Amino acid sequence: MTVSGLPNRRHIIAAMLAATAAKSIQAQDAVTIAGKRPMILHNDRPEDLETPVQYFGEWLTSTEVFFVRQHLPRPVVKEAEFQLTVSGRTARTIQLSVSDLRKLPQHKVPAVLECTGNGRAFYQPRVPGVQWGRGAVGNAEWSGPRLADVLKLAGADMNAAYVTANGADAGVAKTPDFIRSLPMRKAIDPSTLLALDMNGAPLPDLHGFPLRLIVPGWDGTSWVKWVNSLSVANEQDTGFFMNPAYRYPKHPGAPGLPVDRADLEVIEGMPVKSYITGHSDGDKIPMRSATLRGMAWAGEEHVTKVEVSTDGGSIWREAQLSSQALPFTWRLWSLDWKPPQPGYFTILSRATDSAGRVQPIVAPWNPSGYLFNAIDRIGIFVTETA
Amino acid sequence: MKRMMMAAVFCAAVCQGADTASLEAGKKAEATYCVACHSTRLIDSQRLSAAAWAKEVDKMAGWGAVVPDKQMLIDYLAAEYSNTKPAPAPATSGNGAKH
Repeated sequence: MTVSGLPNRRHIIAAMLAATAAKSIQAQDAVTIAGKRPMILHNDRPEDLETPVQYFGEWLTSTEVFFVRQHLPRPVVKEAEFQLTVSGRTARTIQLSVSDLRKLPQHKVPAVLECTGNGRAFYQPRVPGVQWGRGAVGNAEWSGPRLADVLKLAGADMNAAYVTANGADAGVAKTPDFIRSLPMRKAIDPSTLLALDMNGAPLPDLHGFPLRLIVPGWDGTSWVKWVNSLSVANEQDTGFFMNPAYRYPKHPGAPGLPVDRADLEVIEGMPVKSYITGHSDGDKIPMRSATLRGMAWAGEEHVTKVEVSTDGGSIWREAQLSSQALPFTWRLWSLDWKPPQPGYFTILSRATDSAGRVQPIVAPWNPSGYLFNAIDRIGIFVTETA
Repeated sequence: MKRMMMAAVFCAAVCQGADTASLEAGKKAEATYCVACHSTRLIDSQRLSAAAWAKEVDKMAGWGAVVPDKQMLIDYLAAEYSNTKPAPAPATSGNGAKH
């Protein structure tokens, strides 16, 4: 998809190159995930799948390559049997079917979904958890009713502090259930949805069929899948997935040192971040003009600037932002570059957002490896043309 | 001298045997006690210190994993998936898309 208007020759060539690169990802493993192209396989049961960076480059991430994170075995929900129950501090308890939810006003929100632990593998010392590289992120169009409209149907107390969401997935043995509480101010934001569709089609099982919470600008942990229960409450849920999981230190800590549980707080929003996606680390390119490409995103803010260095950070140039400054989605960027000589070049990208946040050189280490957002880096070999 | 060398060869063979046996026992424990909830891929991709592995095994035991010999499993994980070893190359799934 071209966001900035009609595709030009360069766009078409870039798309062809991207398609070739994507095809070159060969399956190495006997495990195949229905509905997914070859993905980085962190866990096959339940499925934890990372998007290879070669698949990025489009504004929307195709569902076939969109990353998957599951904490518990994936439930298979039958649409005919599905009911969403809304209860707690409400005038009445209501139950809604998929067709009831489709009858409500439908809204479409494009938004980046990023796993809280995306980039965990880059922290030193290493921390336990899925060892995500750069691909636990994607940008999709989500559609369905607003969470606020569903809460109004139940006569919810809009002054209550939280809306707690639970899905059809359940823990094995004594594994805690995956339950998340969302502050009311974010729950009633017009962009917060109960999505039935992802990229124009019903949500696949892997992505939460038939109903998923969409919390634009917040970490993936808030985006509860297979949602079948909403409870309006003044207290936050006390389960493992609200505390101690998915909490971040209030104060920066030293790498490897433990953090007191009382000094952790719930993550709200996401940091500013950018990727270089048009080339891969170690690529060899001929010594002529090249276009560097990538994307940048910033949680609830929007990206205002992407700077790129082709010399390891001595000189930075501003890249061209090729898509609209919408909240919650990423912006594609590009920069033309003429290598000055053959050799090895360290390419860096650094984004700045509307709140003035800038990507750091070193992402703050934290015990669970959340919110990695250091400046992106690849190395390219420029070879003498014959 | 000859006797010393023979002793060294004997020890190497026996120690090697013991290492292989505990490695096999550890691998079997991992494949038996950890897979009720998740595949072993989730374990094999980690690179952690012995202390961090002990914490993980305790956490899983708290969540219902029944591990008869926790220390044996911890020792195996700490040796095989040590933070002193490089991370493995990521595996890639097959093509499950229609095209």
